[in-house]
Amino acid sequence: MWMPLLGLLFGAILGSAISFEIPIAYAKYMSIAVLASLDSVFGGIKSVLEDRFDGFILLTGFFSNTLLAAMLAYLGDKLGVDLYMAAVFAFGVRLFQNLATIRHHLISRTLRNLGPDKR
Amino acid sequence: MTPKDSWRLPLTIVFVFLGILLSAQFQVQSRLVSDLSMQKTEDLITMVRNLSDKRLQLETELIDAQSKLASIRSSRADEKKIAENLTAELNKLAIVNGTQEVKGPGLKITIPANSPVLYVDIVSIINELWAAGAEAIAVNGNRINLYTSFYYAETENYMFITLNHKPLYFPIIIEAIGNPNTLEKGLTLPGGIIDNLILFHIEPQLEQVEELTLPAVINEPFFSEAVEVKNN
Repeated sequence: MWMPLLGLLFGAILGSAISFEIPIAYAKYMSIAVLASLDSVFGGIKSVLEDRFDGFILLTGFFSNTLLAAMLAYLGDKLGVDLYMAAVFAFGVRLFQNLATIRHHLISRTLRNLGPDKR
Repeated sequence: MTPKDSWRLPLTIVFVFLGILLSAQFQVQSRLVSDLSMQKTEDLITMVRNLSDKRLQLETELIDAQSKLASIRSSRADEKKIAENLTAELNKLAIVNGTQEVKGPGLKITIPANSPVLYVDIVSIINELWAAGAEAIAVNGNRINLYTSFYYAETENYMFITLNHKPLYFPIIIEAIGNPNTLEKGLTLPGGIIDNLILFHIEPQLEQVEELTLPAVINEPFFSEAVEVKNN
């Protein structure tokens, strides 16, 4: 249970130890990538709670989503289409849906554990 | 690893990468906020205005400081000039009062031994030398200033000339700093002091000297009662 959280902490420390020299112009794509990765992570948590978890799908989804989001935003900028907005919208909606689902599952699981024969 | 626990490892890996991404993004974002090109136009205008105001203020300050510096410099130069003048004046007064050893070209008058010379003759010679433009005079190594006194003293069979109440021994050597030619002319002009002395069989020898060194007076003049009266 605590291992992923420790991993998050470790990653954060590692990231702050390494100073990233990303040009300011690419900051926008970076933010989209972060959004996509957040979405993937919450999707992964949701699937754990739903007992449908597949590590391979999570890993590939995480990396491909992150890279594709950044690249699509970049492409959109080059083509003059605001794919950036579309990505923010899509990932944002999915993020909140995932969060809602996680909350739902957590609540129902807690209730099941409290009451012996609820639901 | 049971199937139930199989979520741990992938999720941990993903979380590690999420952590890295998040902190990277955090860094970029904090750089972005402080970056000048990402500021609002209004803020930038205000910043520019403030900075140019400040620059203007600093420029006026600089001009003020520079003019102050110039005035201080000129006043220092004035002070220096005054100090130089005072020093020159002081040196002149030291020469006049004989408080300073002096050297320069001049005339050396030797009165040989056994000359029937009186103290008034010495005084006459010295007066003549002053009149001829002597700047400093010494007699037998005693600097003459306005406190010097010549007189005479007598024993039963001998008479001394005294200088500051001390006997003056022969040969009497009078040294005067000044233009040597002028000094000599002043003494030897027809009907002058030398002619007079020759009548009494006193034959002083005159010698123009390139450089004479006259000592300072032994007792410097001091003023305890006399106070300067200031006109106006």
